[in-house]
Amino acid sequence: MSELETQVLIIGGGVLGTAIARELSRYKVDVTLVEKEVDFGWGSTKANMCIVCQGGDALEFRKEYHRSRLVWESIPLTEPLCRQLAVPFKRIGELTIFKDNEGMAKYQKLKTRAESLGITTHQFIDRDTLRQMEPNVTKEAIGALYDPMIAITDPVRLTMALAENARQNGVNILTGTEVLDISSGVDEFEVQTSQGSIKSKFIVNAAGMFVDKVAAMANADDFVVFPIKGYVGILDKKVGGLVEHEIHARPEAPGESNIITPTVYGNLIIGTPMKLARRNDYSTTRQMAEIGLRNAQKLVPDISEGDIINSFAGFLMFRNWELGWHECVVSPSRSVPRFISVSIGYPGVSAAPATGKKAVKLLTQEGLKLEENPNFNPYRKAITDFSKLSDEEKGALIAEDNRYGHVVCRCEMVTEGEVVEAIGRGATTLDGVKFRTRAGMGRCQGGFCSPRVISILARQLGIPEEEVTKKGGESRHLLYQSKQLLGVRE
Amino acid sequence: MNRQNVDVAVIGSGPAGMAAAIRAKQSGAENVVVMERAEQMGGLLHQCVHNGFGLLYFNEDLTGPEYARRFMEKAMDVKVTPLLETMVTKISPEREITAISSKEGYITFTPKSIVLAMGCRERSRGALNIPGTRPAGILTAGTAQRFVNVEGFIPGKKIVILGSGDIGMIMARRLTLEGAEVVAVVEILPYIGGLIRNEVQCLHDFSIPLLLEHTITQIHGEKRIEAVNVARVDNNRDPIGGTERRIECDTLLLSVGLIPENELSSMAGVELDPITGGPIVGEMRQTNVPGIFAGGNVVHVHDLVDNVSWESELAGESAARFAMGAKWAEKGKIALKPGRNIRYIVPQTISGEREITLYLRVSDLEEGVRLKIGDIMSKALRVVKPSEMLKIELPMAQLRKLKQGATEIVVDCEKRGK
Repeated sequence: MSELETQVLIIGGGVLGTAIARELSRYKVDVTLVEKEVDFGWGSTKANMCIVCQGGDALEFRKEYHRSRLVWESIPLTEPLCRQLAVPFKRIGELTIFKDNEGMAKYQKLKTRAESLGITTHQFIDRDTLRQMEPNVTKEAIGALYDPMIAITDPVRLTMALAENARQNGVNILTGTEVLDISSGVDEFEVQTSQGSIKSKFIVNAAGMFVDKVAAMANADDFVVFPIKGYVGILDKKVGGLVEHEIHARPEAPGESNIITPTVYGNLIIGTPMKLARRNDYSTTRQMAEIGLRNAQKLVPDISEGDIINSFAGFLMFRNWELGWHECVVSPSRSVPRFISVSIGYPGVSAAPATGKKAVKLLTQEGLKLEENPNFNPYRKAITDFSKLSDEEKGALIAEDNRYGHVVCRCEMVTEGEVVEAIGRGATTLDGVKFRTRAGMGRCQGGFCSPRVISILARQLGIPEEEVTKKGGESRHLLYQSKQLLGVRE
Repeated sequence: MNRQNVDVAVIGSGPAGMAAAIRAKQSGAENVVVMERAEQMGGLLHQCVHNGFGLLYFNEDLTGPEYARRFMEKAMDVKVTPLLETMVTKISPEREITAISSKEGYITFTPKSIVLAMGCRERSRGALNIPGTRPAGILTAGTAQRFVNVEGFIPGKKIVILGSGDIGMIMARRLTLEGAEVVAVVEILPYIGGLIRNEVQCLHDFSIPLLLEHTITQIHGEKRIEAVNVARVDNNRDPIGGTERRIECDTLLLSVGLIPENELSSMAGVELDPITGGPIVGEMRQTNVPGIFAGGNVVHVHDLVDNVSWESELAGESAARFAMGAKWAEKGKIALKPGRNIRYIVPQTISGEREITLYLRVSDLEEGVRLKIGDIMSKALRVVKPSEMLKIELPMAQLRKLKQGATEIVVDCEKRGK
């Protein structure tokens, strides 16, 4: 790509950017999406609690906040969207526990207020019911506020599916393309990227953690987001049954909330927000891990350090220090026409479906003409999940294609056939295969499957094995061929 | 192959599985199958191109592939049936095996008895919770061994190894011979995690720096690993402030322990020992599930392949005899209890009616000790280390000294008086 022209340029391939792209693909309009990473959802979409609409979203609903409204409007949209795109979605319900009557009184107030706004799904449960529902939750809890509506999904897989479906419906998607500068002309923008320049009439800035930096490139807006870093730990499936609901203790102070929840794959995930951090610094510290574990143990005491199979850092963006995660940016620039910035903060996944629709509306208000695309296909077929097939289906599939009889990931039971499918859907890296198939996400964390996946990637992409990367760029997994360091081989 | 008529099915064809299958056949079982997910039998022996295998079993110094070859040929000689490229996905408590294979599709059958011989896997970075970024270039020593010795790739040229397990030390030497520079082997304990012979032959002989009582406190690098922080630790194994320093590297290998691979065992209802991570076994290597036996690293992680073979032969023989109608109590009536400075003992229970070999490990390094098997036997030892398994033969002559009706024997590692 040296020079490219498009009507709408979306910057950012996270859950918001791809949701907007997919929403725009319902119309006959020339759309390009650029993502600086080689795959989708690898920024702030990647590391979070995988929860669709937390209880707090409802309890603290404020119709004057964009974010509240977008989360709220997304509730009826998310499940059908996941179904159309064949992405896992499970309603598990949330239990917000409290340890004293004072705590309960606080929730009573919030619940009453929520009810006055028409939000009526919450109910109190007593100690005995809580014990029955969740026998492993801390015995200090005297009850909980139960919200059965809370659901979980796989945000990265949702993002990849949105991108795939958008592409299928005609959106031009460019990965590995980083926006470096934006100049605003009279009726179009010229965007310099790492892969060449793009001319576009409209820009949707969904650059996640860098949303303020991208806005600043175009002199579009003068706002700042504060990246708050949190700790996320994944627990072995063998302790996956410790809880069945999302268990939550509300923060005593902002940023101190902690959560434990099942994932759609049967692991548990623990998380604790931490503090303001340098953006894009995904490193974890010993202290974070200790606090993360300790906070999780306050909810479920039986969790031990040995149950953690992986841990990482995630970010949530505060738009405004006082309002914390309540406020977000989904608005046209005040000074530059046809430039829209979109940032939910946390959690983007809960607000993505309505944000997609909202962005389309804002674009039309800015002058974009839209005509329905009669060929829009909302459905995306899932990659085969061999482990979920019945015995008969497994046998039939292997008979049809024996690559499904070759297990490459033993922990998550992923076959060569699925890895090949994932590559066909756009995976070009080890992580790309991992997020699409779960190969490498199990308890051995890629020890067994990585040599096998690397050789399948090399074969399918027609590249040498040393060029296969973990996550694009300089993340090559194997640096040399045998004997190369001895000067025997060039 | 007629799967309705399998006497013994062995899960896994590494050193444990091959030895068990051969012995099952030799003990009279007619139809013995060994189920292997790879293209050939032998398991991880094929990637262990170094020597040191078979010193006890064959009284010869063999490489891994040579050791494997002997058992593979023997298995063919005695007509064991290998089911290759076949991955067992489930075992039920009623011994129904479910497997998938690229050749035969979906397979289920119920053999008369089963030997679990799945071996072990390596602990990963996640299990250690090492802080820092998550770049490429961090892999377990065993995965690196496969890349170097089987696939023909070198992960990097400036290498730090965390942990001093045997595979890590062997890879330190192997990568040095391949032209890479191993800048440090970092071990949190005051002594190495593997065998002394590997410390000498793999580290000292190649002047590879060994940092005892050190650990990695941070990993640096966005896309590919660029450096690690290394710090000295105190007696509680916590990093000591101010001792941290940065070591540049492009690769980090992990050699921080092995975990018996028992997901299938759990599905079958086999009870596991939280210390060994493997099935609780009796002296015949019987588990709590009738007709399911276990041998080798799936039971407890061994130091030497020779012992894996011997232990698994016992499991294979028992499985054959079970298939032919022999019965034992699932648990021996005498429990072996770890006492002072004993981490574990295998088998966990015995009948007291036949001579046995005890495999055990101590918790801490100690010099000048006496190993006491209840009050029936004692043995003076100059030094004991957690990294070196102790093997004690317990003959009938000693077992007869047991009091009538005894239900347990406590094994202690006592400090010897001056």
